[in-house]
Amino acid sequence: MDKKSFKGYLYLLPSIIIMLAFTIYPLIRAIIMSFLGDYSIINHGYSSIGFDNYKALFADPDFALSLRNTSIYVICVVPASIILSLIIAVLINSCNKTKAFFQTVYFLPYVTSVIAIGIVWRWMFNSNYGLINYFLGFFGIDPIPWLNRPEYAMPALIIFAIWKSMAFNILIFLAGLQTIPEDLYRAARIDSTPKLRVFTRITVPQLAPMIVYSSVIGMIGAFKVYNEVFSLFQGKAGPANKAMTIVYYIYDKFYNSYKYGVAAAGSVVLFIIILVMTQIQLRVTGEKKKK
Amino acid sequence: MDIRIENLTKTYGNLNAVDHMNLRINDGELVGLLGPSGCGKSTTLFMLSGLTTPTEGKIFFGDKDVTSIPPEDREIGLVFQNYALYPHMTVEDNITFPLINRGVKKAQAREEALEIAKVVKIDQYMNRKPSELSGGQQQRVAIARALVKKPQVLLLDEPLSNLDAKLRVATREEIRRIQQEVKITTIFVTHDQEEAMSISDRIAVMKEGVLQQYEVPQTMYLNPANEFVANFLGTPEINNIEVDVKDGVITAGDAVLRTGAKLADGHYHAGIRPESFYVDENGISFAVDNLRMTGRDLLLFTKLGQTVVRVLVHSYMHVAEGDVIKASVREGHILVFDSSEKLIGRF
Repeated sequence: MDKKSFKGYLYLLPSIIIMLAFTIYPLIRAIIMSFLGDYSIINHGYSSIGFDNYKALFADPDFALSLRNTSIYVICVVPASIILSLIIAVLINSCNKTKAFFQTVYFLPYVTSVIAIGIVWRWMFNSNYGLINYFLGFFGIDPIPWLNRPEYAMPALIIFAIWKSMAFNILIFLAGLQTIPEDLYRAARIDSTPKLRVFTRITVPQLAPMIVYSSVIGMIGAFKVYNEVFSLFQGKAGPANKAMTIVYYIYDKFYNSYKYGVAAAGSVVLFIIILVMTQIQLRVTGEKKKK
Repeated sequence: MDIRIENLTKTYGNLNAVDHMNLRINDGELVGLLGPSGCGKSTTLFMLSGLTTPTEGKIFFGDKDVTSIPPEDREIGLVFQNYALYPHMTVEDNITFPLINRGVKKAQAREEALEIAKVVKIDQYMNRKPSELSGGQQQRVAIARALVKKPQVLLLDEPLSNLDAKLRVATREEIRRIQQEVKITTIFVTHDQEEAMSISDRIAVMKEGVLQQYEVPQTMYLNPANEFVANFLGTPEINNIEVDVKDGVITAGDAVLRTGAKLADGHYHAGIRPESFYVDENGISFAVDNLRMTGRDLLLFTKLGQTVVRVLVHSYMHVAEGDVIKASVREGHILVFDSSEKLIGRF
């Protein structure tokens, strides 16, 4: 190593140390922990080495439920949030005078604490006094017990999460929209392009990099969903644990059941799922780009 | 389609970008809108396209008043300065795009696209993306996209400004050839006088929103309406000199430029083009301060009185710095302007 690159590495050192201490080391410890039976975080004792934790994990119906719920959550929240955000971003972008105002309004959820938002949504979801049931009443729909009945736990969580995740996506798309050259829209106008076709053939392809970015980031975030569950159901996983997600399951196993090994095994499974999914996603979108 | 512009005005704040412009463009002509930046030539073009709404005045395509007709219904093709090709689409998709928007069937659209692509000679690049083409090729794709819907009028905004010098000359000939082949009324914007003169049927010179002159290039060059047009056209630039007239004798300092001119006594601005001088044993003596070889010509820098004067002579002439040559001005090549800068005569 010559003198110059040594100096370069020296600049990198602080962030490398932080990453090693708080990301890489815990990751390795978690992987090791997942293979130790009856691991204790007090005296680091364990009874066995092997796949016992993984066996227990996959035998647990709660884990199966959390996998299922998380998958439903990802499949619903990520695409719905991106599509809605895209439409709203285009609408905000098209009104010049009110652009700054709406930009701020739609970004508020991102800078507000999830716990605070959760409280507001609990009130909106309230079966007797909530705004949502009030509006549904206009369409002749009977009040829905959103937060009290197991079958409505996941829909309520998904609606809440879509709304919450839109803030970030709208911001990204608005930034992207500003980079599309105005002349493309003028050319489209001269070419008598219908409004919808302008959106699908010009705006969406031009925003493609932002859409890919949002979907990757959104998917990783959605797989790790926990805050939303915690705040909406006041620290529980919904009625009868029906809104149990993977991270909530890991949290529950670690802090409430003290099954550290099982919790670690759960995190490793989640890690692998996210790794595989993002790889598939990047591969698919990368190939499309080549075409 | 002939075009008539009546009293066309565009005001931004309290600035008249285009000021009461009147213009008549004949069917099938290629017209260059020429002027320095900010003269209102692009604004005029965008008003013709409908993308900019005039503050006042009317535009007629044929007998039809199109002033309030939106761009998509004006039957125009517009080529943007940066081409504005759809970057994620192939050349073919770019060209068929306006047709498919109008409900033309895909097979039919592809056929028509290929036909126009052959005219502009890009038919071998149909499957490429715009980013895989050179500037000149992109330009031709943009023209093809504008022409494919068979518009009545073709508008080009600074069509050559994004190309390098050599390509510019080739492309302007291409534009002329395509225009002649399609026989379409074409208006293009440029700040390059040579470009405008070389391919236009007529040139409209603008300055600060006001139309200065609308003429056939050769006539305009020889008979500029005013000092601005005289200065704007021609390289090297015209010589601006101060002359005095007494009893029909035009003098600049001590030098007699012309005798027997029918011009009232007084002090005038005059313009003499560098190529208007010819070597003449009985002419005025010019001391050569400096010279520049441009290829076909030698450009001599001399003085007439106190004013620096550029004189063009053939490059086979043997001249060196410090030499004195004798030259006169060709008959009818001294342009004399009045105090309001209008041309009053050629002597």
